[in-house]
Amino acid sequence: MAGAVTDVTNVPEERAEPRRFLRAVRGNRKAVAGAVILLVIVFVAVFPGLVAPDDPQATLYEPNLLPSPSHLLGTTQLGQDVFSQLIWSTRLTLWVTLVVSVIATILSMVIGVTAAYAGGLTDRVLTVFIDVFLILPVLPLLILLAAYLPPGITSLVIVLCITSWAFQARQLRSQGLSVRNRDFLIAARVRGERPSYIILVEIVPTMTSLLAASFLALAVYVVGFAASLQFLGIGNTSELMWGTMLYNAQQAAALEAGNPWWALAPGGAVALLGAGFALLNYAFDEIGNPALRPVRRRRRGRASA
Amino acid sequence: MSDEPLLRAAGLTRHFRLGGMFDKQVLHAVDDLDLTIHEREIVALVGESGSGKSTVARLLARVYPPTRGEIHYRGRPLHNLRSRRALFWYRGEVAMVFQDPFSAFNPVYRVSHGVMRNLALHRSDLSRGERQQEAERVCGSVGLSPKMLTRFPYELSGGERQRVGFAQALAVRPKLILADEPVSMLDVSIRAGVLNMMAGLRDQEGVSILYITHDIASARYVADRIVVMYAGHLVEAGPTETVLRDPRHPYTQLLLSAVADPREKVESISADSGEPPRVINPTEGCRFRWRCPLAIEKCGQVTPRPMPVGSRQVACHVTAGEPEVPAGDSGPVSVSSHRSS
Amino acid sequence: MAEPLLEVVDLTVDYLTDTADVRAVNGVSFTVEPGEFLGIVGESGCGKTTLLFAVAQLLSPPGEVTGGSVVFRGTDMVRVSPGELRAMRWLDYSVVMQSAMNALNPMKSIGAQFKDTLEAHGDSSAQEIRQRSAEVLALVGIDAAHLKSYPHQLSGGMRQRAMIAMALLFTPQLVIMDEPTSALDVVAQRSLMNKVKDLQRRLGFAIVFVTHDMSVVSRYADRVMVMYAGQVAEAASTEAIFDRPLHPYTRGLMNAFPSIGGPRRELAGIPGAPPDLARPPSGCRFHPRCPEVMPACLTREPELYAIGGAEVRCLLYAEDDR
Repeated sequence: MAGAVTDVTNVPEERAEPRRFLRAVRGNRKAVAGAVILLVIVFVAVFPGLVAPDDPQATLYEPNLLPSPSHLLGTTQLGQDVFSQLIWSTRLTLWVTLVVSVIATILSMVIGVTAAYAGGLTDRVLTVFIDVFLILPVLPLLILLAAYLPPGITSLVIVLCITSWAFQARQLRSQGLSVRNRDFLIAARVRGERPSYIILVEIVPTMTSLLAASFLALAVYVVGFAASLQFLGIGNTSELMWGTMLYNAQQAAALEAGNPWWALAPGGAVALLGAGFALLNYAFDEIGNPALRPVRRRRRGRASA
Repeated sequence: MSDEPLLRAAGLTRHFRLGGMFDKQVLHAVDDLDLTIHEREIVALVGESGSGKSTVARLLARVYPPTRGEIHYRGRPLHNLRSRRALFWYRGEVAMVFQDPFSAFNPVYRVSHGVMRNLALHRSDLSRGERQQEAERVCGSVGLSPKMLTRFPYELSGGERQRVGFAQALAVRPKLILADEPVSMLDVSIRAGVLNMMAGLRDQEGVSILYITHDIASARYVADRIVVMYAGHLVEAGPTETVLRDPRHPYTQLLLSAVADPREKVESISADSGEPPRVINPTEGCRFRWRCPLAIEKCGQVTPRPMPVGSRQVACHVTAGEPEVPAGDSGPVSVSSHRSS
Repeated sequence: MAEPLLEVVDLTVDYLTDTADVRAVNGVSFTVEPGEFLGIVGESGCGKTTLLFAVAQLLSPPGEVTGGSVVFRGTDMVRVSPGELRAMRWLDYSVVMQSAMNALNPMKSIGAQFKDTLEAHGDSSAQEIRQRSAEVLALVGIDAAHLKSYPHQLSGGMRQRAMIAMALLFTPQLVIMDEPTSALDVVAQRSLMNKVKDLQRRLGFAIVFVTHDMSVVSRYADRVMVMYAGQVAEAASTEAIFDRPLHPYTRGLMNAFPSIGGPRRELAGIPGAPPDLARPPSGCRFHPRCPEVMPACLTREPELYAIGGAEVRCLLYAEDDR
């Protein structure tokens, strides 16, 4: 039995989400670092020509050159400028990452929240479904899919979506379970709303922080995994992506040939993009858990009576 | 006031199975409850935790179906309302207000969200402009300025949110509002305003209210009739003043003796420690017998049924047979509608 | 004239957050005599819980004592070293929290928790520990067999009683209680309060009892202090507060209780809501809601004026201050 509610402080906690997010980012050094990295990468993706005017595909130069002022990262076995390749690959790499992350997040949200809201048998079936995808052995699946799917970016996207959506579904389901019995949802039922409405309009919007955090966490995973898949030859190896650069470098035995930057550069770029997403995610830790917010301690000194 | 009751529940029962598939534990939240609500009346459902009063509200709101028993609304049996349209019609007749002003609103939307959704769903005959007007009208009925609708829940105080909760309910133009402990989580100085508003809704809007509470003093203040529950059973019911002036059931007497009035110095008489009732796999017999000073052997064997005692119902083997004390006053005074800023 | 057990002078507590600075307690002073029952009453946001935490030295950041003193048996608790504080804790004063489930360890039996407390604050043999644990349980009316029970196995009322038993392990001189009955039903509340008062008479400790429910203190408190918006609005003997409430807020509170007996009156309540302490009203903090507001109330901050044995923070009594 509750007594009257006692607010210890009168500071309102729930502000509009975007403003709170911006504040959390600004206040958190790690998130700022992540945001800066991402902004730089996005800029490079949108305006590659400003950074590397050379044609990345043109086999104009001497092959296997080491880094120098005219070729910042050296050249490939075919005489292409590695730096140009790196810069021009950014756009497609980023694009694939974002597309897969969005699709996988939506999938995991729909399935996770529906499982939480529906409860009962539906919940159990969907949970098993999620678990199956979580423990899927990826490599055998890849081999199967590689044999049946036509080579190309679409196959890559499909494979990535299938193997990554379940990642966050359990977490979203947990969150859904925790809001399930809140009064405003019972109120929605009592006024006669349809279940699909309740899930999409009443539940999901309360989870935007978690969804954004899930998206970022997924993106970290997708960046790395996409590169790994391409390294193995899945997808279209002639497209300009960091992963395909790795594949080509490996095929040409770049490391042994004394041209390590051809492999190190795209690898480093993948790591950097992943780090950007991961660092930005720290902002959400703060929103989700107010105890982590920075406490401003002003030493006013203890006044005497 | 018509003779036909607005809502009549008979033998209302709701059990919950606890534990897993092989666990035989059954929680008897409500057992065999008869409840009647007339038009333009406030009925208080009084009980402590474990009494089943919140379950009754959810049963009447059709949040889940009863295990047994029937509910008749305006003569129509609810279990016959199977089609989506019929059930939807019922939802436009009976609305609910919740206890917790903090969780009753979706924090993502302005408080107008619930009101406008209710209007969109149940008053679809109105044009958009008319809906806006209606939203402002119900705001006024609960004593709030229409500007409040544009605010977010965190910007309103607890009392203001509860008023918006009533406005939401009023938007569908219900005949009955189920108010589940609407003032329990509000400061005492705010409660009076909301209670006065409720009485005003009965008088001005002609709405009946089922006022669920653990606070028998506030029940006395607003309710025309009072129903006392213990451990899922009805123990006493009748006109408010009659029940409170001359409580028959030992539990009602215990409740009254425990309520402190800051202005009166009444000595407490009971040594009862207030242990909650046992409602898991209960046996036959009165569920109050372990705490009852009047318990006889029959109380442990036969579950007492509500018996008429004058204008009341009392479910007690021992006290249901005594003659009634003659009536003194004329009953509850109607409170004029109160606007609060 | 005996020394007061607890003397709080001009206590000020601030919450320093990155969004706003909030002065939750603003210059509060009161004393507690040995064996006295002081009730601190107020609604949401009045600062009573913060005050209690500050007095019990339980404040954590962003809350901070920024002024005043809390002198308990001659020692200023705000300035004392953590070691000295620990020596006093539980032996000289103890705290009963609002919800036993928040204070009791759900993984340990009641007896184990009593043992932990006894060992943490003193040297007792195993025999002495067992004996004392059973003794305090008997004091609150719980069978000693429950020493083996876990908190979740006890009912709400029994858990609260176990909390009180734990607070009495060393028979302290002061027990601070934060709304220990608000989670209980009416009958259990009454029973618990009777027990608390009975124990106080027998063992002679003083009680500082914080609550939002005036009716709970009306029967048991010797003196009552009404708080509003971080300040003391009125302080007087229980009888005086209930028979002759002086502050318009106290009067408003009295009129907000529906009565069980007697004739039915229309309840008025108090319009409006408590102020946001980050932006308190100018002048008297109650003036936006006061039925007897005067022009001076908007600009002049009232002091605490002494009227007979009572203290009132209201300009209506500014001239009568003796």
